[in-house]
Amino acid sequence: MNAINKTTGSDSAVSIYGTSKPLLEETMQMVLREITKIRNEMTEELGMDPIEHLLGRIKSEESMREKCRRKGLPETPESALEKIHDAIGLRVVCAFLDDVYTIRDRLLALPRIRLVEEKDYIRHVKPNGYRSFHMIISVDEKIYAEIQLRTISMDTWAALEHHLKYKKEIGRGTALISAELKRCADELASTDSSMQTLRDMIQELR
Amino acid sequence: MKVLIAEDTTDLNRVVTVMLQKFGYDVDSVYDGQAALDQLELNGYDAVILDIMMPKMDGITALKNMRSRGINVPVLMLTDKSEVDDRVAGLDAGADDYLPKPFAMKELLARVNAMTRRKTKYSGSLVTYADFSLNTDTLELAAENSVRLSMKECELLHLFALHGGKELTTDYILEHVWRGDDSADESTVYLYTKYLKRKLAGIGSAAGITGERSGAYMLVSK
Repeated sequence: MNAINKTTGSDSAVSIYGTSKPLLEETMQMVLREITKIRNEMTEELGMDPIEHLLGRIKSEESMREKCRRKGLPETPESALEKIHDAIGLRVVCAFLDDVYTIRDRLLALPRIRLVEEKDYIRHVKPNGYRSFHMIISVDEKIYAEIQLRTISMDTWAALEHHLKYKKEIGRGTALISAELKRCADELASTDSSMQTLRDMIQELR
Repeated sequence: MKVLIAEDTTDLNRVVTVMLQKFGYDVDSVYDGQAALDQLELNGYDAVILDIMMPKMDGITALKNMRSRGINVPVLMLTDKSEVDDRVAGLDAGADDYLPKPFAMKELLARVNAMTRRKTKYSGSLVTYADFSLNTDTLELAAENSVRLSMKECELLHLFALHGGKELTTDYILEHVWRGDDSADESTVYLYTKYLKRKLAGIGSAAGITGERSGAYMLVSK
């Protein structure tokens, strides 16, 4: 999942999703509602809203077709819904590190949701410094969705990194920039840790 | 390695300079305290050899002057005979070591080697314990992944790493990491220990810190 695309694709011609588009929409709304319920419970418990922002999108027609071609798959509903798992993409951005894992645990405890695959890039950081928690879930054993959970700091870093990735004209000095971006990621991770520790300390003092 | 020697006795200055050059040092020679200060303004050095008795400005005055300007390069004082007062004055003024005249050249060389070795070890050193490494130069703490610490976190973890597996009392930690900072107290130590615990866990290290608030803390490998 790259940047969240707002477009829902062309209405003309045959959709890569076949007739499943409404089902995708419905499923996405259902997961968003579940996350909102968890968010409300946690707000009650913590005395603060754990989620900074919550986004959802259905991958656009063009992006999905492009992904099929990139993966050498035929441009069919089967590829888009069964082989590729991020037709539905959700991003949950939290203020604090621990809330990322709490939301994950509570989502996976829901009966209609099953974990298919998870990649913890917070614990197993990518070499460039990228941190985020990714998971693929199956809803009602029918529809797949990708959920990315991360903190505001991680989100900020990813936004800049994504922006720079396309600045190909840089050329010279790329190694320095990459090393410095990695350092920034490590500094932000350190701050995330410190902020979480401070929140714990406040809880202790209560 | 660059060494500055300030010694007004021309012959001695010459002999020491040649000997240090022979052992690979890059040496600048001056003949009084003022010239030494001027030279220190112009260049960075890894060690300075200062005679106490010199014209224009004596070695102690030059030393006090350079320390007050924040020049912290290691200094070896050359003292005449074995005047205890001179040695004490030199060390009090910020000298790292002294050598009474007359001395053997090989002892002077050994002392200069020791001083510069200490310096290399201090700057940019990699401290390791269990499965983590801490670069005290870049403040990078790394195991499976890495984070960048703040200066105080780095100093605290460095202290823990030097005494891995040994209990350190809150007072000992305050004395070594927050010396001279009156605003720091047991809560500060407790909080910084918590920061480090979380960051060690965050980088996937098997090392942790045990201990209770206000008590003794210990760096351990789980």
